Order: sequence, then structure tokens, then C-alpha cells
Amino acid sequence: MLQEVPLPGTALAEELDQRLLIVLRDGRKLLGVLRSFDQFANLVVEGAVERIIVGEQYGDIPLGLQVIRGENVVLLGRVDEGKDAPEGLTQVSPAAIKEALRGEKELNKLKGTLRARMDFLDLE
Amino acid sequence: MLPLSLLKTAQRHAVLVELKNGETYNGYLQQCDTWMNLHLSEVICTSKDGQRFFKMPEVYIRGNTIKYISVPEERSGQQVAVGAAAGAAGRSAAAARQLAGQQEEAAVGGARAGEVRLDCIGIAVGSDWQAD
Repeated sequence: MLQEVPLPGTALAEELDQRLLIVLRDGRKLLGVLRSFDQFANLVVEGAVERIIVGEQYGDIPLGLQVIRGENVVLLGRVDEGKDAPEGLTQVSPAAIKEALRGEKELNKLKGTLRARMDFLDLE
Repeated sequence: MLPLSLLKTAQRHAVLVELKNGETYNGYLQQCDTWMNLHLSEVICTSKDGQRFFKMPEVYIRGNTIKYISVPEERSGQQVAVGAAAGAAGRSAAAARQLAGQQEEAAVGGARAGEVRLDCIGIAVGSDWQAD
């Protein structure tokens, strides 16, 4: 079991052509197929989709082919092809989820201080 | 195909660049370099809140301010897939072990085909590039 752990330099190679969930420093969650990478962990993601989750709803915004600068990536991991839809969440249109996100941001502005303490994260 | 190589093939195509500060720049990519510095033309800059828009004839973006770049899929899609097959075969032993023998051969052939297609892109740029 131990010898299966990949080296940090080649770990991304095992994720090539896999559907991944990539979390960025600004809190965004992108899904897509990893097509290539380089020594800075810059990524090429094909068929990228930004998944926004607000409460019980989620929406997928199509982004196409993306080059992501490596320093903005927090983590990434494989997603099951079959289980793409998260359980317990309902999918809505991109416009609807953006409205929901705006509403949530307004609500968070009212909440104020607790989020201000999280300012070590690059969240919006 | 490596990320920066993909960027090079996207020259003279419309790209969307989002910066770390949340601003987005839509424009035609004129030049890029190894540090991901970009030169765009006919640029529309959208503010972070998506409310303000600015139009600029030319823009130079320093690479380290970039969060991500969106590239038109139509042309690059094929090259990316071919490059991935070749890259996967060549890059790590683990990936190569997983690939079947015939897939490796296809990848090598694909790499050559990929190179040919890159040449075609160079010729095709400048003319209409509607999706085939």
C-alpha cells in the first residue's frame, strides 16, 4: 500500500484525462477534465464548469477550455463520473443560481464580523 | 500540450482573462511569454462586481496577476486531446502502465498528428475561424 503513494512532482500525471473538482483560492469550485499541467501546476481543464452551491441549490456555469494558473489552486480531486449530481441538492439554471448567490452575499454583508475574521482566505 | 503551449496556440483568438482581483478582460490575445504575461487587443474590462465596463484598444497583463484564462474550445479541443494522450504516455510510468499497449502507439502517432495540426493552425489564423 505504501509504495503506491505518488511523488509530488508526478502526482498530477495520474489525474490526466480524469474529471476533477478543483478548488481555487477565491473559493470557486471548478469541475472539468484535466488535460495537461506543468511544473508550476498550471492546469489545462477541458469542458470546465463552475459549480455554485447556495443552500439546497446548485448551478453549473459552463466555462469551456481553461488555463488555470497554478498558484490559485488550493486542491483538486477526482469526481465519480456516475455520481455527478450532488445528493440532496437540486440543480437550477445559471441565472437562478447567480440570483441566489447575490442574495446570499447580501445576507453575509449583514452578518459582518464573523466573515471579516476569515480574511486570511482570498474569498470575495 | 503544456498549458503555456496552449496559450501560444490561442494567439490572435479571443480569450477571457480573470485576474486575482476579480476583474475580467475580454480581448484578442496578441502575445504571451513564458511568465504568462499577456498582450491583448480590443479589450473590454469588466469590474469585479460585473457592473462597470471599460473598453481599451490594448492591454498588457503581468502574468502573476492572472487567476485563469478561458480559451475558445473549437480549434484547441482537438489539439488538447491529442496532446493529453501523448503527454500521458510519455510523462509518468504509472500512467504508462495503465495505458494499453495499442494506446501508447496511438499516442505516439497522435503526437505527430498533433504537430501537423499545430502547423495548420498557424496557416489558418488570420482567416475566418468559425467552428467546422
